[in-house]
Amino acid sequence: MMAQEKTSATDFAKEITSRLGGETITYCYQCGTCASSCPVAKTTERYNPRQIIRLALLGLRQDVISGDAIWLCASCYNCQERCPQKVEIADVIYALRNIAIREGNIPNIYAEFAAGMTSEGRIVPISKFLEKKRGDYGLPPLKPAGVDAAKKILSATGFDKIMFKKGESQ
Amino acid sequence: MTAKRGSSKRSKGKVKALEEAKIGVFLSDCGGQLSKILDFEALANFAKTVQGVALVARGSEFWRGQGLKTIVDAVKNKKVNRVVVAESVPKISEIAIAKAVEEAGLNSNLLEVLDLKDHCAWPHRDAPKEATEKAKAMLLAAIERAKLSEPIGKLEFPAVKSVLVIGGGIAGMQAAEDLADIGFEVYLVEKEPFLGGLAARAVRFFPTDDCAICIQSPASDLKTVTHTSRKCVYRSGFSEIPNLNVLTNSKIVKVEGVPGNYKVTVEKKPRYVNEKKCVGCNLCTTVCPVEVPDEYNAELKTRKAIYINTPLVYPPVYAIDAKACKFTECAKCVKVCPTNAIELNQKTEHITLNVGSIIVATGFREYDPSVIKEYHYGEYPDVITHLELARMLDAFGPTNGMIVRPSDRKPAKRIVFVQCVGSRDRRWNPYCSSICCMISLKHATLIKSAYPDADVTICYIDIRTTGREHEYYYEKAREMGIKFVKGRPTEILHDPATNTLVVDVEDELLRKFLELEADLVVLASAMVPAEDAKELAQILGLELDQDGFFKEYNAKLRPTETKHRGIFLCGGATFPKDAPTTSLHAHSAAVKAAKFLTNGKIIKDQKTAVVNEDYCGDCEFCPVTCPYGAISLVQKDKEHFVAKVDDLLCEGCGVCVGTCPVGAIELRHLKPSQISAQMKALLSVNGTSKPLILAISCSECGHAAIDSSGMAMMQYPANVRVLKVPCTGIVQVQQILEAFKAGAQGVMVVGCKPDGCHYEVGSQKTKVKVELAKKLLKECGIEPERLEMFNLVYIEGDKFAEAARTMTERVEKLGTLQLA
Amino acid sequence: MTTYALFLGCTIPARQPHYELSARKALTKLGIELVDLENMTCCAPPPLQSIDLETSLAIAAYNICLAEEADLNIVTLCTGCFESLAMTNTLLKEKEELRERVNKILSNVGKEFKGNKEVRHYLQVLTKDIGVDRLKRSVVKPLNKLKVASFSGCHLLRPSALLRFDDPERPRIFDTLIEALGAKSIWYRNKLRCCGGLLRGYADDVALAIARDKIVNATDAGVDCISTLCPFCFLTLDLGQMLIKSSYKEEYNMPIVHYAELLSLSLGVEPKELALDFHKIKIDKVLEKLG
Repeated sequence: MMAQEKTSATDFAKEITSRLGGETITYCYQCGTCASSCPVAKTTERYNPRQIIRLALLGLRQDVISGDAIWLCASCYNCQERCPQKVEIADVIYALRNIAIREGNIPNIYAEFAAGMTSEGRIVPISKFLEKKRGDYGLPPLKPAGVDAAKKILSATGFDKIMFKKGESQ
Repeated sequence: MTAKRGSSKRSKGKVKALEEAKIGVFLSDCGGQLSKILDFEALANFAKTVQGVALVARGSEFWRGQGLKTIVDAVKNKKVNRVVVAESVPKISEIAIAKAVEEAGLNSNLLEVLDLKDHCAWPHRDAPKEATEKAKAMLLAAIERAKLSEPIGKLEFPAVKSVLVIGGGIAGMQAAEDLADIGFEVYLVEKEPFLGGLAARAVRFFPTDDCAICIQSPASDLKTVTHTSRKCVYRSGFSEIPNLNVLTNSKIVKVEGVPGNYKVTVEKKPRYVNEKKCVGCNLCTTVCPVEVPDEYNAELKTRKAIYINTPLVYPPVYAIDAKACKFTECAKCVKVCPTNAIELNQKTEHITLNVGSIIVATGFREYDPSVIKEYHYGEYPDVITHLELARMLDAFGPTNGMIVRPSDRKPAKRIVFVQCVGSRDRRWNPYCSSICCMISLKHATLIKSAYPDADVTICYIDIRTTGREHEYYYEKAREMGIKFVKGRPTEILHDPATNTLVVDVEDELLRKFLELEADLVVLASAMVPAEDAKELAQILGLELDQDGFFKEYNAKLRPTETKHRGIFLCGGATFPKDAPTTSLHAHSAAVKAAKFLTNGKIIKDQKTAVVNEDYCGDCEFCPVTCPYGAISLVQKDKEHFVAKVDDLLCEGCGVCVGTCPVGAIELRHLKPSQISAQMKALLSVNGTSKPLILAISCSECGHAAIDSSGMAMMQYPANVRVLKVPCTGIVQVQQILEAFKAGAQGVMVVGCKPDGCHYEVGSQKTKVKVELAKKLLKECGIEPERLEMFNLVYIEGDKFAEAARTMTERVEKLGTLQLA
Repeated sequence: MTTYALFLGCTIPARQPHYELSARKALTKLGIELVDLENMTCCAPPPLQSIDLETSLAIAAYNICLAEEADLNIVTLCTGCFESLAMTNTLLKEKEELRERVNKILSNVGKEFKGNKEVRHYLQVLTKDIGVDRLKRSVVKPLNKLKVASFSGCHLLRPSALLRFDDPERPRIFDTLIEALGAKSIWYRNKLRCCGGLLRGYADDVALAIARDKIVNATDAGVDCISTLCPFCFLTLDLGQMLIKSSYKEEYNMPIVHYAELLSLSLGVEPKELALDFHKIKIDKVLEKLG
């Protein structure tokens, strides 16, 4: 059993509810509707949204934010539609990911998205090759992206200061 | 309103000439206990110096025995025309003294009782000299108040010994029966053609699994205890209970009047069958050509346009469904009826009733779960609700007691129950419906008893079995092999190839996803208020809570009362409940509904508000503010309306007085002049080392907190002087400023908690006024911290003592207030 | 002439010019003018929201501001863009505190979210600006024999509290628009379930299993193709079938066709004008069924 830093349940709940997306986590009464609505949970045992919320509300912070589970949500929002307590589960997962990344737990793919955003204002870069070919298909040329504006916004929110280390989670 | 403002001419002070006051002052030292702390000789001497005091007496108690006789003699011998008594525990002693002086010929409003024990000696026992000085101030205040008191008479109002019960389910029936037995004339109004409500459809009640329509009404000779036999509705001859008038097919359309004397208009739709002639032979249904889905029986079968719900029903008279019947185009039933009971020309009647009180017993109904689309109710015929299952389980019902799949009428062998459908769900009804766990257990065990091979599963979030014997019921269910899955299904699916339902649920305890196959899925749908609850609430002027149920006045102390003294609630109308609780509630409501009517008249002290019509500018503030609807506007002349107070509805709180911008309304039992006089008196004697603080306290929670602090001998400084008012709502902003002018260095306002004001709104309004007063003080160069409001309850006496000490320290720090 | 600011997002220009092509041709034929604004960025979809929600709201709001300044409503093709922009638009219109918070950030780029424009998915342009009846009348090559498994993806419908596009449990709009083209929309198991696309790059095996499930269900229902609205769904199901072939050794040959392509074809656009080689699974079966 790995020794963990203990976080009190109240503290972790407060940390989550004070973040955008996490405001409703404490409404959960563990009914399990989200789990049976979830396409990912039905496909793999690695993920169960009800369990993630349970771990969080019990204060098992490290399990949640250094774990693999929170990265397996496909953001389909089915859980949020069906939840009888109106817990915004998919948004809570975003909030947990936001916390995890700030502690250096970031899967590679997200680090790439962050890099794309910071450099080109797009999470998926558009190859110059394809951009040139647009004319061949009869498409108008792409208007330039607002890279400067994006950079200023990222600076204003502190996005650019988040350390996007390639973390322990794969 | 375009009426002119009232005259602004004010007469100075006196309304009419008061007789010259001859005040008798009686000081009780409580068997010598108080004189150990207070100097009674000094008090007596002080009293003698006050103008208007005709007599001063000391004794060890004045509320009974020789002491009381002294007061009575003084009154009888016309030595005094006002009585001021310093006695302990006024809530007991005042009643005894008041009774005695009334009998002796002195109006009891001319009596003042002050409490030198809990409000002086005991909380200040560590500073006896200061306590004595405060006692002088308190005495003076009582005397000055008494000087301005006028006699207040008693009013008589009619109390009709008749009660209206709205709703003919088991709650309404039980309450109606109790009242009829006591001898009241009862009108039981039911909107359906038959009585019984949900119970009649549910058939059996947990945890005993016996008949739901059992209401144990005594029959025959009601006066003789030996003859009391406990019979159910079916056997009781409900129709023959004297004084009980049952009006079916009826609803309330208008209610006017006051407690003790309501005028109610009832709209009775025609049954088209004469209740006195129908013998229930059933011939009419055999010839009726119209067939419609039988809603009562969950549309599992059809019925005719003329029908009776089940053979067990009351009244045992057929009824015609006006929407389905072809009336004179057909009239086959008329020809066939052997007693000519069918009357197609019956018309809607409007009946007026005169009743003394009203009981609302409209119950609850099952929520329609079609909105919860993931469960496909209404789309898949084999997804049903409890009420629908109950009809199947009824041996007299549409399937003769067999559990079948509505889609193909084949027997249902695999049954899955889903709990909390539309309950505990913020999207639909956030509350727990309280009885559905037990209902599912009941239905599951009944099914398993009849079909031991049935595969029964209950999917739940929690199992709530809180009542007596409910846990044994749950044990029995498990012993019978009923399966429990902890998990709320996300969806109910249907496989068209096999016509099977599939329940998609996570078994949390197994941590596995299950796909439960079912022939029948039963939804434990929420219990919600009756359909016309909102409409009825508006007609009666009642409040509904956030979930649409009727709100009782106070759940713990007054569970069947409302803020209207003549209207009561019982049964499922306030919240879903089981049969035993409904019984409790119904019988309780019956007592309350009868209690104030038993003398045939309501006698009330005229301790109410009264309007000075010359000042009233009909601004409409007071009618809107009065929490009891006791004030209305009446036309005085062509252009002018004035406020008028209904003495029966007025509770004498004074919130109107605190609201009126021109001082046109006052309480007969506490005039503004009396408040001023007491204020000045309390602040006229200091004798302590500390600055004077006036504490204006309501006579409900506020005063109770002060009482309790004294009773527990909690010490606080004697510079705190208490002025008692009915409700802090009576306080006007300028009176707070007046207190400072009169010598207060600090002012405390002590009242009930904002959401617990005994007069509904007073405490909250005062809070706003105190904030405004603080702003004004600041404008005047007075520190706003000198004024503070405290909201306390009786058990917070310690908080009052602490508040008194804190205020004193605060005001000391701020220094002496110099007013120009 | 109804004019919209076209919001393309990243994935469509980066990988699916055929979607953009068919959408532009179809909408132009129907009389919709599409304006390409300058300085738009990524819409801030789930991958960005996973990193920081506040930044995502600000980026999405920034794009909406560009449309507000041009006095144009936005139309999106990608349902992911629709979700991000429409959700942001509604949240900021309705929650004052959030709006103030975002506007503070936007002041750094000289923008202010006013909340006076709409964000629409192009299906809403079809229903609201053109109308199903006019659409039906505009069809010149009805897709009469085509059996379609409609797959709108998650983000057209959910979170329904904010998107308010259609009934999330019983959506009808997309199916109605498919049938307006003459085709038949066929029910198939777990029709409204996610394709698993957003798991690609983190848990490819799980994503593939979920995608395969969709292909299998559609195949079992006997449809000619699956019609998509989201470029991610398209990739997951189209390219996905190549991955299914290598991982599961199963071949389904289920054509995946964007609704815009079906629309263009039924409005008379020639297949050769639509850059159809971007489909990994050939859609010849579909083209054969053109009226």
